[in-house]
Amino acid sequence: MTNIKQIEENLKREAKRLLESKEVSVVLAYARGYDEHHPLPYAARTAGEVGNLIFNEYCTYNLARYLTKYPPKTKIAIAVKAADSRAVVQLIQEEKVKKEDLVILGIPFIGMKDPKTGEEIDQKTTCHMANPVLYDILLGEEIRDAGAGSPYDVLAELEAMDQAARWSFWEKEFSKCIRCFACRKACPMCYCDPCFMDASRPRWADKSPTADGNLMYHLTRFYHLAGRCIDCGECSRACPMDIPLHLFHKKMAKECETMFGQAAGMKIDDKPVMVNYGNQDSDEMLK
Amino acid sequence: MIGSKGSLNADHCEKEKVVFKKITLEKLGDLVSALKEKGPLYAPVRDGKAVNFQKITKTADVTLDFYNTVFSPKFVFFPQTEDLIRYTLQKEGAQAEPVPIAASPSVILGVRPCDAKSFEIMDRHFLGAGIIDPYWKNRRDNTVVIGYAFDPAAPPDPADFYNTVGIHAADTEGSDVFMVRKDGELLLKGITKKGESLLKGLAVLDAASAQDEAFFDETIRKDRGVKTRFTEITDTAIAAKLVGSFEKQEIWEEMTASCIGCGTCTFVCPTCYCFDINDETLFRKGARKRFWDACMFTDFTLEASGHNPRPRIFQRYRQKVCHKYSYHVTKYGCISCVGCGRCTRSCPVNIDIFSIVEKVANL
Ligand code: SF4
Ligand code: SF4
Ligand code: SF4
Ligand code: SF4
Repeated sequence: MTNIKQIEENLKREAKRLLESKEVSVVLAYARGYDEHHPLPYAARTAGEVGNLIFNEYCTYNLARYLTKYPPKTKIAIAVKAADSRAVVQLIQEEKVKKEDLVILGIPFIGMKDPKTGEEIDQKTTCHMANPVLYDILLGEEIRDAGAGSPYDVLAELEAMDQAARWSFWEKEFSKCIRCFACRKACPMCYCDPCFMDASRPRWADKSPTADGNLMYHLTRFYHLAGRCIDCGECSRACPMDIPLHLFHKKMAKECETMFGQAAGMKIDDKPVMVNYGNQDSDEMLK
Repeated sequence: MIGSKGSLNADHCEKEKVVFKKITLEKLGDLVSALKEKGPLYAPVRDGKAVNFQKITKTADVTLDFYNTVFSPKFVFFPQTEDLIRYTLQKEGAQAEPVPIAASPSVILGVRPCDAKSFEIMDRHFLGAGIIDPYWKNRRDNTVVIGYAFDPAAPPDPADFYNTVGIHAADTEGSDVFMVRKDGELLLKGITKKGESLLKGLAVLDAASAQDEAFFDETIRKDRGVKTRFTEITDTAIAAKLVGSFEKQEIWEEMTASCIGCGTCTFVCPTCYCFDINDETLFRKGARKRFWDACMFTDFTLEASGHNPRPRIFQRYRQKVCHKYSYHVTKYGCISCVGCGRCTRSCPVNIDIFSIVEKVANL
């Protein structure tokens, strides 16, 4: 695995080149925050600003979140780790961004750390891939041995529960939700404007955080992300109440993969499973 | 000052005695039980990775081993959701009853100095703005705040900057009782009359010695050694700077570029007080509720016409900072931020209000 300092150097070099040559008008990457352990997502617009860029193991944030904020046709370079690259691919599939407007700077890396807890982010909380699935420039050597294990292993405990226990697990977790909406705002795939939760006519859920309304919010959000969640884990990391949202998303992703033989955001030519129909698709969900 | 010698004031001719007590940490459970008997008790509880104030049901849940809570204790006075009126819709009109304001005396144990100060700042808005908020007032009047000094030997969290707004690690201001940890003991001193009478009524406490008192005073003196992030600002100067920066859109856009516009920073904040009121009805039964709202949300300023005066994130963040560091100074005479660092710690993308204020101060 390429040394993280080297990745940072490569990132700066490429960012500088891309901005100087005017190939892109903005580079989405990271800058120093209030200390090293708390980097900021950062948009460099001039070669002069490239000096602010950093990359270290706390640069967890999925920058694909910001892509949909730019006007169409903006030429953007974006730094992506494995899961982030899947978000970019998924956004391309959903025609939210165009590949020709992007320069994807891939970062192969294992060992990212949660800035809040310092814990390593592993397959439990993210998709357990080491190499970006799509990139124009790779900022480090491809990682050959990403280690064993599936991103779905972490579901074992939940899957072992019976239906009633699972229901009460989620009821308890959702009752903690304070509706700060950090989960949807941090999610690269939650780009709807307005979000159904912000609609006042009709109103889909109570505005105050009641248990029923929370259930409405989360179940709807989970279903809206079916076959689209790329398992970056940003939602769980953003949540101030430590609600393990990624577990539900992973479960959905696993079901989708089993039923439709396709994981989200893996190939640019795939169609999102929920908008595509194939004769071989499972009928499981109709039963 | 309470306990000062030789007061000539006729009302205080009898020398007042400081109420000063202690208890060993092993007996924390006894203290908690005794406080619980007086009414609802709110204290820090560890839940998973986080410590937060909770209404105590089990004595053993209380912990005093924490730096600061993720959420501020403001919810004790200003809960996230509360029913103001409950009603049943009828064929014509409705049958409605206001919900009585709960008035049982309660105690908050373990409030850090910055948070204790936040209650006084919030008082200016909820009590001093010409309209008294009966919900806030009632709970404030009936609650005893037991403050808890930060450990003067431990470094502060890197996100904290309470020194910048004139608060120190063992400030007693805003507390009714103030608590300092001495090895295996807790020293408790009455700061207000309310606090003194609470302490007097707690038989589980032991009398403290002169040595304990010296330790207590020393801790308070030593708190100047706990240095959080600091930048030199005065209320009026920063207020004016912010007004001057308002039109400088590029600066605000740049400083807030990574903000995703969630409400986390405002919900964890001890001095954010915005709320919304809504009727929520299900099968003809419902309640008029008030609940926290946040200037960071898109629909906060959305008008019925569809027009939104603050459609962009930089405008909303600018409002947040201007409210705390400018409008609040003009309206209520003080900054409404206590530098607790919560917003920065909880921000999903590490936006740091201190860096932003510092930048504006140096424009
Ligand atoms: S981030 Fe957590 S608390 Fe906030 S809305 Fe999402 S689940 Fe609820
Ligand atoms: S739902 Fe969570 S894990 Fe899935 S894409 Fe969104 S933020 Fe990432
Ligand atoms: S704005 Fe931030 S630092 Fe200031 S009081 Fe609120 S949470 Fe604390
Ligand atoms: S500053 Fe951080 S916590 Fe506040 S709205 Fe922006 S992203 Fe959310």
